[in-house]
Amino acid sequence: MIKLALPGGDLRGEAAKLLTSLGLHSGEYANGSRSYRFPLAGEEAELRVFREKDIPIQIALGNYDLGICNRVWLDELQARFPQDQVVALCGFGFGGIDVVAATSPETLRDLGPVEDWGGTEGLRIVSEYPNLAEAFALGARLPRYHIIPVWGAAGSYPPEDAELAVFADGGEVAQRLGLTAVACLATGSASLLANRECLARRDLSPVLAPLLKAAAPRDSSRLLRIPSVLQASGPRRQLSVREDGIVRLALPDGHAQKHTFAALASAGFAFEGYGEKNAVSRPETGISGLVAKVIRPQDMPQHVAYGSFDLAITGRDWLLDHRIAFPSSPVREVADLRRSRYSLCAVVDERLPYDGLAETIDYWHSHGRSVIRIASEYANLADHFARQRHIGRYQIIPVSGASEGFVPEDAEILIEGTETGTSVAANRLKVIDRIFESTNCVIARQSPLPGAAGELAASFLERLRGSVAVSA
Amino acid sequence: MTLAHESLRCPGMHDLSPEEMERFRRVEQVFRSSCEAWGFSEIRTPVIEHLHLFTSAGTLSPQMLGRVYSFLDWDGWSGERVVLRPDATIPAARLYWERSRGQIAKYFYVENIFRFAPSEERREVWQCGAELIGESWPLGDLEVITVVRGILEQLGFAEPTLRLSHTGIIRAILSAAGYTPEQQLALYDRLIDGDLGVYGGIEARLPEAAAPLAMLRDLTDGHVDGLENLRSAFELTLPQIVQPIEELRTVAATLEAAGRPYVLDLTIVRGFEYYTGPVFHILIDGQNVAGGGRYDVLVASQEGHSVPACGFAISVEPLLALLPGSNATLAAMVDVVPANRSAQDLASALEVVTALHAEGHSAELVHAGRETAGAWELRLERRRGRSHYRL
Repeated sequence: MIKLALPGGDLRGEAAKLLTSLGLHSGEYANGSRSYRFPLAGEEAELRVFREKDIPIQIALGNYDLGICNRVWLDELQARFPQDQVVALCGFGFGGIDVVAATSPETLRDLGPVEDWGGTEGLRIVSEYPNLAEAFALGARLPRYHIIPVWGAAGSYPPEDAELAVFADGGEVAQRLGLTAVACLATGSASLLANRECLARRDLSPVLAPLLKAAAPRDSSRLLRIPSVLQASGPRRQLSVREDGIVRLALPDGHAQKHTFAALASAGFAFEGYGEKNAVSRPETGISGLVAKVIRPQDMPQHVAYGSFDLAITGRDWLLDHRIAFPSSPVREVADLRRSRYSLCAVVDERLPYDGLAETIDYWHSHGRSVIRIASEYANLADHFARQRHIGRYQIIPVSGASEGFVPEDAEILIEGTETGTSVAANRLKVIDRIFESTNCVIARQSPLPGAAGELAASFLERLRGSVAVSA
Repeated sequence: MTLAHESLRCPGMHDLSPEEMERFRRVEQVFRSSCEAWGFSEIRTPVIEHLHLFTSAGTLSPQMLGRVYSFLDWDGWSGERVVLRPDATIPAARLYWERSRGQIAKYFYVENIFRFAPSEERREVWQCGAELIGESWPLGDLEVITVVRGILEQLGFAEPTLRLSHTGIIRAILSAAGYTPEQQLALYDRLIDGDLGVYGGIEARLPEAAAPLAMLRDLTDGHVDGLENLRSAFELTLPQIVQPIEELRTVAATLEAAGRPYVLDLTIVRGFEYYTGPVFHILIDGQNVAGGGRYDVLVASQEGHSVPACGFAISVEPLLALLPGSNATLAAMVDVVPANRSAQDLASALEVVTALHAEGHSAELVHAGRETAGAWELRLERRRGRSHYRL
């Protein structure tokens, strides 16, 4: 069986058209079905949809023979793991993007042109491509820097919360955000990737041959561009975390947004530009001394720990994941908002004969599976779970979405949230261990803010807590 | 845990067997006693250090930085990484800055370093090294060369090959060629990586220096007298080269006068950006077993003013394979066999073993009937309520 990993998201439409034009009929994939697995008509082949970021990882693991995703995600993986098992065979000429490092006019005014940043310590680089960002910082010989990985919205962090943001720019993203791109770290388009060993040992030609026919002429701009050393002009300077008496609040987008909106509304807060479904990146709070910014809830604990934000509304699941990675982190839950309730569970194939974890692990071992694969968006939590449950030899597969289709073909265990259990059952899975119950909450650093800012934060929290008590 | 069928050892990591550890300790003992005789004191730095100690220009080359084991520590929420130390000199310089600023410090260490290498090549390397911080050229350079040579000779290597160079020569040439400091660093890194194509670019910028540059590239098996040719050639075109040549000449001439063989090889730059002066490799049977040199600006990057320093490191594992066999005979082992398993008899047997150890003998407890390699067996018997010993 030939296994082909295909992208969801922005690249899906063009990828589906490509397959159809090559006579590779993917049926429901082309129709935008919400399923994750599809047969390929007329071939011994299976298609699986992933977030693009996960495709090079799945191919490197050997779970998939071939994959289509933007080449920059392979660059991101190989920037950290250059010995990888993934080969880029060709590009297809669509979906072109640049991975740029961009900064704000304010930062350029304060620090000067980026070419002179070589002697600046403490640069904060927020990145949706953390490995490429690390390679940039090392190549530029920055003396001391912070790489803060984010799941998205990197461009919204400068200038207050980062000097540089690294993100994909397919057109005028940087310009629209009011940022200046100062370096292009990678350029890529939709590309065909393959597992090196599968290419050498297995016949993939029924799928490989048609795809190779669609190869675009070699694009010389497809390059990983790590800049050379930045100048260290002038005396070495050190950036420090700001202290300005303002309370900075992080608000979530995505699935958590409607619950946060409801919690705020319940406490009598109405922020202009932050609604149930839509939000601008910097809503107006209407409260003097309180500024808000919309970022991904997954990223909030680290930013609060680091001091970019003072308060944040996120899920207790992401707080736990952060604290497992960093046990001495100063971030704590300061108010449980009791919305967006769901259980974090370990789920397995429903057909397995046992309902207990220990027996199931024995069953896998007795059937030749010596390494238990655990897939999860919560990589730290999954690792902690595996150690706590004495799973023995295991492999954590980080996932950035589309997780339901992993078990059983690509993982033995999936750690994820479930509200009603409907989705678990629909995907022919069952819960084998309940790990944690999550709700949305407010997080803050352990030591309170001083002065007027501290009083404002306390007042904000009191109103939120009060509204939860009323509705309970 | 199943130990059959596959090695549970991580790729690139190697155990040292008892036989190898015996050789290791031999190397270590000679190294330690030699360093102490020269006034060095032992230090030990942590395995985990901040990544930023190694990232600035003038520390590790980009090639080496691409091979460090870096990760987020348990308190790494700031996004700064730590590393398993990829080098022992930089942590020693950190220690000097924190504890001994303003003084002359002579440190030695036996430490492991970690650098990624493909397949089964070693990723953990043991080094016996020493740093002489605060002492300038030429005394420091001559001392470290003499120390490491003496260690190898004591270990039985009669003719190690010492290859000498001076990194200041190529650095002065890059500067004279008009490259910016950042370009010079990038070109120097290419030379570290073995890319001699750098010289082509230099010649294009300094056509008047083509002849002396060719002489420099060809000086791989040279003698101190040959340096006079190089000096006279560069004196006219690039006078700023004269000082590093003179520094190297002093070291080579001193070794010559002391009857210590050496070879000049001006293509050596050593694998680190922090070297600034005379550098050397030592080879045994063609294999590189030790190296070192002068690094006068490394400590400056941490403190603000230049502290002269030099050092060396011996790679232990290649030396283990080359080490002549040991002539020492193992002490005869006495096996002490208790009469039975009563508390009193076991206590008596323990007492006997302890007493033998106190007298300088090797002894161990064994069960009756167990096959051992001991040269002597001492049986404890109990007859009529009294202990008897049968040897």
